[in-house]
This record gives sequence, C-alpha cells and structure tokens, in this order.
Amino acid sequence: MRLTSLRARLGVGLLLSLVALFAGLWFIVDVSVHRLLEAQLADRLAHDGENLLGGLQFDHHGHPVLDRKRIQGIYQQPLSGHYFVVASAGARLRSRSLWDADLPLPLLATGETRLLHVTGPKRQPLLLWVRAFHKQGHEIRIGVAEELVNLEAGVQAFHFRLLGWALGVIGLLLLLQQYLVWRSLRSVALAAADVKRLEEGDITQLREDVPDEIRPLVAAINTLLARQDRRLHHSREALGNLAHALKTPLTLLLQLGHERIPDSEDRRQLDEYGRRIREQLDTALRRARLAGESLGSRRFRLDTDLPDLLDTLQRLHHERHVTLEQAITPPDGLLPLEQQDGMELLGNLLDNAWKWARSRIRLRIQAATDEVRIRIEDDGPGIPPDQRHQLLRRGHRQDENVPGHGLGLAVIQALVSDLGGRLELGESETLGGLQVEVRLRRNGAPSSRIQ
Amino acid sequence: MRLLIVEDDTDLATRLQGVLRQHGFAVDVCHNGVDGEFQGQEFPYDAIVLDLGLPDSPGLEVLGRWRAGGLRTPVLILTARDTWQQKVEGLQGGADDYLTKPFHEAELVARLQALIRRSRDQADPVLRVQGLELDEDTQSVRRGARRWDLTATEFRLLRYFMHHPGRILSKSRLTDHVYEMDADKDSNVIEVYVNRLRRKLGNDIITTRRGQGYVFGESGCD
Repeated sequence: MRLTSLRARLGVGLLLSLVALFAGLWFIVDVSVHRLLEAQLADRLAHDGENLLGGLQFDHHGHPVLDRKRIQGIYQQPLSGHYFVVASAGARLRSRSLWDADLPLPLLATGETRLLHVTGPKRQPLLLWVRAFHKQGHEIRIGVAEELVNLEAGVQAFHFRLLGWALGVIGLLLLLQQYLVWRSLRSVALAAADVKRLEEGDITQLREDVPDEIRPLVAAINTLLARQDRRLHHSREALGNLAHALKTPLTLLLQLGHERIPDSEDRRQLDEYGRRIREQLDTALRRARLAGESLGSRRFRLDTDLPDLLDTLQRLHHERHVTLEQAITPPDGLLPLEQQDGMELLGNLLDNAWKWARSRIRLRIQAATDEVRIRIEDDGPGIPPDQRHQLLRRGHRQDENVPGHGLGLAVIQALVSDLGGRLELGESETLGGLQVEVRLRRNGAPSSRIQ
Repeated sequence: MRLLIVEDDTDLATRLQGVLRQHGFAVDVCHNGVDGEFQGQEFPYDAIVLDLGLPDSPGLEVLGRWRAGGLRTPVLILTARDTWQQKVEGLQGGADDYLTKPFHEAELVARLQALIRRSRDQADPVLRVQGLELDEDTQSVRRGARRWDLTATEFRLLRYFMHHPGRILSKSRLTDHVYEMDADKDSNVIEVYVNRLRRKLGNDIITTRRGQGYVFGESGCD
C-alpha cells in the first residue's frame, strides 16, 4: 500500500498511536503491579516478623531464643525460599531454611523499617523486610525475606495476557477504523469515478453531493469546466459572427464581379482569389472552432447526434437516392470527440460520400481498446491508388487536380489531422468506390498526428 | 410565386431580390428577425429565404416560432454559418434546405425552385399541366412545337395557376402570390392578365367562376 493513500496513512497513524498507547500502558501497569505485589509481600513479611518478635525471648546470658512453635514450617525446610534472621548485640539467629547462608541486615535505629532487594542462598532475588526493635532491654533487628521468583512468574503471566489483549484490541480497532475510513472514502471514490467518467465525456459536471472536505475541490473543478465550456461557446459564437461578417461581403464582391466583369481571364482570376480567400477563411475558422481534447465537454453521441446528422444529410441531398447501411458498434455509444467536433468530422466524411456515391453508402463505426475506427465506403468512382497517395502526401494543401473527391478529402484530411486522428484511403472491396477510414485515439492514449 | 427574404445585409438582400425577380418571383425583403417573423406568418409565401445571423432575433428562433405556430412554408436557410452542427440545428429546427455563403446565385435559384416543387410533391423539374410546359429559365411556355414568351407578371400568374390546376383561386389569393407587398394591388389587374393568358393559350385554359375566382384547366380534374 502506498503511503499516498489516505487509507494507508490513517491506518499507519492509528497503528503507531495504538502501539505507543499500549507501550505506555504496559509500563505503568508493570510498575504498579510490581509495587502492589511487593507491598502485599512486605505486609506478609512484616506480619511474619511481628510473629517472630512475639516468640522471641532472651536467656540469662542475654542471647535471643525463639519459641519453636511460633516458627512456621516453611522456615524449617532448607532453601525453601522463605528466610529470616534475628540479630542482637551478642548473637544471630537464622532460619533453618537459610542453611549455611546469611542475609545482610543493615544497621537501623529502633523502630526503623526498610525493604531491600537482595540475593538469596540460591542466588535468586529476594525481598527483604528489616526492622529494628527494642525488647526486654535488648536492641534487635529482625529480617524476613521471600523469593521473588513466584511473584515474577505471576507478573509474567499477567504480561502475556495483557499483550494478547493489546494485540487483539489493536487488531479490532484497525479493522474498525479501516471500515470507517472505507465508508467515508466511498464518496471520495465515487467522485474519483466521476472524474473518470468526465474524462470519457460521459458527464460534463461532477456531482457535488460529496463530503465537506472535498466539496470545495469538486466545486472548483466544476467552475473551471463551466468556464471552459462558456469560453468555447463564446469563441464559437464569435467565430460564427466573424464568418457572417466576412462571408456576406465576400458573396457580394464575387457576385458583383461576375456581373461587371465579362467572361474573361480577369473573371477567372477573380474567382480564383475568391476561392483562396474562402479556403483560408474556412481553414482558420474550422481550426479555431475545434474543441480538441478539452475535458468535460459533451461527447458526440451515436444514439442521438448521429441520427440527427444522417437525417440532415438525407434532406440536404434530397434529390439523390442513396441507401445508407450502418454498423455502429461502440458499446458506450460515444465517439472520442467533442460533440461539435464529431459533427464536423462525420458531416464532412458523409457529405463527401453522398456527393460521389451512385446509390449506396456504408458506414461502420467500431471501437477497439485504444481507438475508434470510422469507415465509410461508397459505390462512386473512387480514386486511383497513385492519386490517393498524392492526395495524402500533399497534406493540408487543398488540391483540385485530383478529380472528384479532391477538395472534400483535403478538408477531411486537415480536420482529421487537427483532431489527432489518422486517415487512410482505399478502395471499397464490396461497393467498389472509395473507402475512407479514420482512426481516432480513445481517451488517455497519446494522440499521433499525421503531417 | 411569392418569396420572403429575411437578410440583415441590405446590399445582399437587394441583390437577391433583383435576381429572384428576374427568375419570375415576387420578392419581399425584411432586414430583421422581428419583422421577418411577423411577415412570414402574415402573408402566404411560397418559400422563405432566412439568414441566421439576424441582429435582433436569431434566425433559428424565428424559424422555431414559425414551426411552433404551424407555419408549413418551406424555408431555405442562407447563412455564413457553415459548421455541420449549425446545419443539423437548422434542419432539425424545421428548415428544408441550407445554403452557405458565399454561394452562386444560380444555385440559390435552383434550390428554391426544387424546394417549391418538393413542397407541391412535384417530382418532375419541368412543370407540365394540361399539355402546357412551363420553362422557368426562359420564362416561356410551350404546347407541342408552339412557344410563347411571357412577361414577368404573366409568368408568375401562369406558374401559380399551373401549380394549382383544377382548384378555385380567388383574385385576392392570386394577388397575394403574384405581387409583392408594396405593389399596387388592384385585383382588377389580375383580370387583365388572365385575359392576356387566355388570348395567348386559348380561352378555355382558364374558366371564370362568378363570385369565386378562376379555375385553371378543366374544373374538377387533378
């Protein structure tokens, strides 16, 4: 999991904080349990010590003597882990359990008590309780000790249980957190899916019912998209107005010329100039109008835009009785082109076919993984192979020397090139006329241009 | 045949008016969308030439309101807006044909004639009724080997008759379709032209129905 993912970051963050929390907890619990158990043990040792004090007598030499009955059996077994030492000025009494060993008792003032960690006869850790008393005129110190081994074993078991618990709780919390994160990020995932659909041209705006945290982002994208769309719309409108403003006077100029200049070389020249102006104008306007790969613009829809276009073509070529066969298969029903770009491309392609077909046109649109292919065939005169090559090699120049399709195809080629597609000319195998194939890159794939 | 041109460029509109008149049309001109919309609805035109880039009311909106109001007159859009999107919008918006500027006058005339023929379900480009053949290019009429030249008004009147054979056509209806808006519309003038056509083509070619109008050809046929 990459740490750029919010989910991974939150997971790792939670894991680290939980581990820190449990480590702290562990430390505090460990210290407290030790203290508690030692305090309990010290109480017991003190009780045994008081008991020993109760059974302590002094003989006539002033030596301490213990009443056997008051000594618990555990102190009689050698190395039992329970030990005592009674020290007075003249003598030292040791429990039988100590065997040959001794316990170091610090010098204390009467009434003073001390708890010490010392090493026992088996080199095991002991807790030693020592207190100084004054009895029957004698200063005595009583030390009672017990092994810490049993205590440590108990604490160890407790530690294992605590660790098990900690791991369990951490695991559960992580799962819970991942679930919560997944739930809250689902709307983010939906927004991401929206962005993908936007790229594919399926939608033109992102949904704004997203969490507060990303709503400003989504809103900003939508604002940008709307602005871009408006700009495209305005510039297309301005270009339409420009075309209107230039072409109406051009019409008048050419018509006046025809009227005033007799049929001569001058008139042919006038026509030629007029043609050039119109072509330059058309090329520049067409280029400027293309939306290209702008994000969030509506795509050309094969289920609604295409029928409108075909109906329009049929009505514009009303006098020509042409049958159109269609095979439209892209599953998403979209061309990888902005709607008006698609209109322009298919309009020009089909219009050209309509002009030259004798009676039949075949339109096929197929989608592959990385491209969409548009193939248009007709049963018209076609173009000989050498001229096809020539036509494509000349690039953007509009060539009227190629008979028939020449001019229309030059416009189409420029258009396909501007849209980042590829154009191939051939002969229709089944209809015998021209076959024009246009390949358009689908989204995300880098565009390759022909020059 | 009476046409309406809605075109904001006065020079172009005047030129077109002249050209179309030469081809035997009565032509009214409007220079803005509001007037154009009103006139298109008010008068019985046989076809309308509509520019899209009008100053006050866009051509497509004018067209939309005509069609929404039930106006069936064929409309040819004549515009500098030449994208396929605009063509599709125009034709789906109710236009019948679309011609982009710059254009040849001859093409406009040919398309208008085709449009009017289509609107009358006339497949043959040459109008033939009652053994008469109307030649729109030379504004003359033939029967067999005989040929008569016609004046502009005679041509317009005969063409309208030939488009509506066997139907009673009132003087005012004929006036509406033969004359332009600001022409001196004395319906008695129609009588004069009907008589001239009778003298050229024979008396029985047009029958008078008293109080109703005229019938071209045999009453009740076709």
